[in-house]
Amino acid sequence: MFTDRFLRYKRGMSLDGNERRRLEAAIDEVRNLDARKIVIRSRTQLHESTLLVDGFMSRYIDDRNGLRQLVAIHVPGDFVDLHAYPLQTLDHDVATMTAATIAIVRHEELDTIIAEQPQMARKLWFSTLIDAAIHRAWLFRLGRLDAMGRIAHFLCETNARLFSAGLSDGRRFALPLTQTDIAEICGLTNVHVNRIMRQLREAKICVFRSSLVEILNIEQLTKLGQFDPDYLYLEDPDPVLPPH
Amino acid sequence: MIQAPNPPQPHEVPGIASAEDGVVILDGPNGIAVTMTAEAAAKTGESLMEAADVAKKQRCFDRPP
Repeated sequence: MFTDRFLRYKRGMSLDGNERRRLEAAIDEVRNLDARKIVIRSRTQLHESTLLVDGFMSRYIDDRNGLRQLVAIHVPGDFVDLHAYPLQTLDHDVATMTAATIAIVRHEELDTIIAEQPQMARKLWFSTLIDAAIHRAWLFRLGRLDAMGRIAHFLCETNARLFSAGLSDGRRFALPLTQTDIAEICGLTNVHVNRIMRQLREAKICVFRSSLVEILNIEQLTKLGQFDPDYLYLEDPDPVLPPH
Repeated sequence: MIQAPNPPQPHEVPGIASAEDGVVILDGPNGIAVTMTAEAAAKTGESLMEAADVAKKQRCFDRPP
């Protein structure tokens, strides 16, 4: 099912079978997109929302010179622009980072689902609250952490998000992003990211090679990134944390 | 419970500059992480030295007699 990863492994908020089947039935269209394509422009009137089924997407804002600042990335299972359901437009652009598959749900279908199953309003709202929590974590990361901390935090966060989506075993996951993407996410230059990745590898803390991340020392990585997965509201955070 | 304000304060621990692939990386203090060309780094260094001299003098004048 296209909706299998949505709210998967979320504390008290995962969809039950009936809810998942109803959301699945509400999908209007499934689209396969190339990498690096703009999907939604800011200030466009929207009548549908996008569930990311496969691949990675980003939300970003351009400065006056057209230089992009990534403000969020999305992993499979995320309802990328559910915000547009009440807001009708977005204040940022949305693009694919990798080739992606998306499922489109029209807003009128969401109206119907919520009318039929009012608890779904709470679950959809929960999903956007997780997005907001991730934004707060990104502010903390960029405002408080040094280069090593920022990358460590990003890797821990992505590991936890992908674990929740069923795409990490808690220590290894595919990350089809470039070092340039990570530089942009962490507000660092390529050279800086390259050096930190080398330091993490040499210290046997984490290896990022051929689009695969392998966390060798989760204790050190979480410590460097001051990472606490509580804001991701996982059913059980233990698999992405050091052993007790 | 009262939460005391905690705006950023002047850092007492210096940042560490290092060269990598023909550019200069400045790590710290705190969350600062900047990469500069060698020329920009040299000029920033001069500017920092000059400002540090002025700041030290300002500190002397601020002391009560």
